[in-house]
Amino acid sequence: MPPIFYGLLFLALAPIFGGLVAGADRIVTARMQSRVGPPLLQPFYDAGKLFSKTSRQINPVQEPLLLGHVTMMAVTGAMLLGGTDLILTTFVFALAALLLVLAAGSASSPYSFTGAERELIVLLAVEPFFILMMAAICKVTGASTYGGVLASPKLVALEIPGVLLTFLLVAVVKLRKSPFDISISHHPHQELVKGLTTDMSGRLLAYVEIAHWYETALLAAFTVLFFNWNVAAGLAAFAIGYLAEVLVDNSTSRIKWQLLLRFTWTVTLLFCAGNVLALFVLGV
Amino acid sequence: MTLANLCAALIALPIAFGAIAFLIDRTALRSALVVTGSAIVAALSMAAIPAFGGADSAFFGLPGELEPGAALPAIEIALTGLVVVFGLYYRRFLAPVLALTQLSISLYLELSGRLPEADPGRLFWFDRLSLVMVLIVGIIGPLICVNAIGYMRSYHRASPMLKGRRNVFFAILFVFLSGMFGLVVSNYLPLLLVFWEITTLCSFLLIGYTRTDETIGYAFRALNMNLVGGIGFAAAIALLAEQPGGLELVELTRGPAGAALLPAMALLALAGITKSAQMPFSSWLIGAMYAPSPTSALLHSSTMVKAGVFLLLRLSPAMAGSLVGYGVAFVGMLTFLFVSIVAGTESNTKKVLAYSTLGSLGLIVGCAGIGTPELAWVGVMLIIFHATAKGLLFMVVGTIENRLYTKDMENFDALLSLMPRVSTLALVGIAGMFIAPFGVVIAKWSAIRAFIDVPGAPGAALIVIMAFGSSLTIFYWGKLLIKVLSARRQTDYERSIERRVSRYEWLTEAPLALGVLAVTAFIGPISDNVIGPWALGAFSVPPRDFLHMAPAMVLFMLGAVMFLPAVAYWSWRHPAYDHADFYASGRSAAPSHVMDAALGGIRRVTLRNYYMDGVVNGALAFRAGTATCGLVLVAMLAAGAMGL
Amino acid sequence: MSFLRRSPWILHYDASSCNGCDIEVLACLTPLYDVERFGIINTGNPKHADIFLVTGSVNERNIEIIQNLYRQMPDPKVVVAVGACACSGGIFARAYNVQGGIDRVIPVDVYVPGCAARPESIIDGVVRGIEALEEKRALARRQRGENTA
Repeated sequence: MPPIFYGLLFLALAPIFGGLVAGADRIVTARMQSRVGPPLLQPFYDAGKLFSKTSRQINPVQEPLLLGHVTMMAVTGAMLLGGTDLILTTFVFALAALLLVLAAGSASSPYSFTGAERELIVLLAVEPFFILMMAAICKVTGASTYGGVLASPKLVALEIPGVLLTFLLVAVVKLRKSPFDISISHHPHQELVKGLTTDMSGRLLAYVEIAHWYETALLAAFTVLFFNWNVAAGLAAFAIGYLAEVLVDNSTSRIKWQLLLRFTWTVTLLFCAGNVLALFVLGV
Repeated sequence: MTLANLCAALIALPIAFGAIAFLIDRTALRSALVVTGSAIVAALSMAAIPAFGGADSAFFGLPGELEPGAALPAIEIALTGLVVVFGLYYRRFLAPVLALTQLSISLYLELSGRLPEADPGRLFWFDRLSLVMVLIVGIIGPLICVNAIGYMRSYHRASPMLKGRRNVFFAILFVFLSGMFGLVVSNYLPLLLVFWEITTLCSFLLIGYTRTDETIGYAFRALNMNLVGGIGFAAAIALLAEQPGGLELVELTRGPAGAALLPAMALLALAGITKSAQMPFSSWLIGAMYAPSPTSALLHSSTMVKAGVFLLLRLSPAMAGSLVGYGVAFVGMLTFLFVSIVAGTESNTKKVLAYSTLGSLGLIVGCAGIGTPELAWVGVMLIIFHATAKGLLFMVVGTIENRLYTKDMENFDALLSLMPRVSTLALVGIAGMFIAPFGVVIAKWSAIRAFIDVPGAPGAALIVIMAFGSSLTIFYWGKLLIKVLSARRQTDYERSIERRVSRYEWLTEAPLALGVLAVTAFIGPISDNVIGPWALGAFSVPPRDFLHMAPAMVLFMLGAVMFLPAVAYWSWRHPAYDHADFYASGRSAAPSHVMDAALGGIRRVTLRNYYMDGVVNGALAFRAGTATCGLVLVAMLAAGAMGL
Repeated sequence: MSFLRRSPWILHYDASSCNGCDIEVLACLTPLYDVERFGIINTGNPKHADIFLVTGSVNERNIEIIQNLYRQMPDPKVVVAVGACACSGGIFARAYNVQGGIDRVIPVDVYVPGCAARPESIIDGVVRGIEALEEKRALARRQRGENTA
């Protein structure tokens, strides 16, 4: 099947996948807290409800920016599976994440703005890793597209374990799970109220949720890149990693942005850049 | 018109216009001259496209096959004399010392007869790279000159205590253009050096325009650093005078330089590094931000600094594979990394733009140092996209500065509501600079791809530097974007601010914004017909397919770049928007962001970006960068001396 | 299908409560009652909320706040007054600073009596509030249909 077909498949199925993961997340969290938790399809009910509310918008640019955000997230995934160069896709991914920051920052209100600034710090913290990750994968496999990496005989996870290790950390940051949920949190009552989404209501909030589903699917796709010899193994690894993340989420409290930046960059430098250096020097 | 005559006109006419502008005291008449002169220069530059045709390279001399003869030393003596006079007048003695050192090297070569004869028919070399540079200087330069008419009017109105010397200002702008044209088409190195020094002197005069103590200091710093480069250039000529192949740039850069030529290459690279303000020579460009904005636009986006990277790109095939090349590459990339760190701590918008310029130049220098056709392609792409987008941004920031009386981006709150049209233009510029997948990002992507192929530890180091540096650019551009995109209800006074923007500013900024979009749209043809063939030819590689842009990708890029400006435009067309209250824990916040505070008080909501307080000390980072790159530079020169 | 019924989000505001009713509200979130089973989330942000759960009575200071929060909530929305103080001022009704119940300031849809109101009553009140929410949504749809017809 031509790659573009996979891209379109992603556009259609990724939100469903992301929503189910989000629902499972809430159920597992509830069970960890000795509760029953909502139904599995709850995120879809939430999104549906949000679309049926009126939205009180505080300025005219938030909606177009958020539409841009969700569109670009979807397009990033479609590009990734659809055969676009991996490194270019990383840049588009960064742009998609930036649009959320701009939407929140345009609000000129204290909570939104602070949430936007902190999300910008999160972007700053994770972006070096994603570029290095894609460069390392391209170097190891000699391929430059998703299909190329999956078809490569090299086992990515075993060739670049340092990068994989850093990916686990960065995924926690990107999913905005505690202790890295400095800009927004799905749990109530954080010190920034709802952070990024404080001044978004109705369908605007729904766009953010759907974009988050696409993002989750993207991270699953990245995981599969590491386990390129078997897609099912990759998805299983994603599931295990996600469960571990839920555990971490429920047992840690939020850290300050300075610590987030320092910690993420230190790990990226030591494990990921170190791995890349070894890759180049040992001439794999 | 033949190419030779065209180039002669491009060099001679701006000087003539400058001389006339200098003599005219009446502002209206002089402005008319500036507009006319700019239009003529722009038209001549565009005429270079048909005049050059589809050739690979053209060589020619002065009209009538004149020999440069004694003209070159005479001009050098005149320039040095000017430096000595200014140095003595302002009691800055380093500059005259440096200038006299350089002059003595040149005169010694002339008088002792060690300088080989110049071939009068090969004084100038025009190839596709020259065409690109001529178009950049010839289109963006005049736009900035016309923009300066409107800017300087507001500038002087805001600072009545400054003695107006606008006739000098515009005269130097034109002479500057002349120097740049001469620089990019010169083949004979001593001739190139003369134009090089003209640009150095013009930048000195423009930075010191206001003649305050502060700007005089920065002007001399620029002069001194560029003179150091000039000494390197003259010393390189002295070394090359002994070599076969003479002093023709085209001969020197046909292929990798042997051990005999590398010392001269290292010295020429030093000149390029000082001119493009790479670390450790970056402080002059930062200091130049205190000059009027058109100066910054001209110097720091489209012309002077491009001279430095232009030379380095020319030298790229010669430096390829040597330690000198690697040294140059790391000077560039480390500059990129360090200035990106410092930019995140800075809130003065012009300084952020300056740091961003240094970063982009660092990338180009990095590409030039490694020396493959792909990276040379990246370098030229970066030059084009950076010149257009940054030129636009400096002009727009100048306009904002004149209307809001501030350069601090923290005061740009609700810019989208205050100045919607200007914000739209600014967004085109910012989008052009870094939003995927516009040109600068295409260039970064291609650079990473090319760095993957660089073997060993240097390749890894380059990619790591690129990854961290690139992320830092997202951080500081993101902060500026947040400020530009913030919107709230305007008061009537605020709505009137934009009406006072002069027509000169609209007429130059809007076309350049369209230029940014045009360059994005036509990236495919530009790459296939101009830059690709040049890159392959410079490295003597047989024709092959370069980065091929599918039409769908080009459309996507165009859409991505236009998205933010379109959002801004749409929001300004709907001014009567029913803005709901933002959440402030239940307190009402009036439209102008005033809140009821505790104990019956009233507070204004102020929102401040993060500037990495407590994590990064900007000044310390700058000094660290200067020191690191200084060491790498010394290593590079040592490698050159040893012929590695 | 109506999503409002399956995903009602709550904004809990303490007007001038003694915190007794607030503790009972929070108890609803605990494993014993676990209202998240019904999709109920306690969001602290009016712009995300459907149901405005208010405890405590109205005084001079919080009139403006209550109105501001109510205004910021997007339609359709309901107000549930929890506890005796929110309904009518409770035992503090004659105090010099107390204006009365929440219905002095904003329209209230459901009154949950008690001092302190029990979690079962609160959940019952929220369920009644969801029904009121459904009615409002249907009404709004009918009105939109009439306007376009």
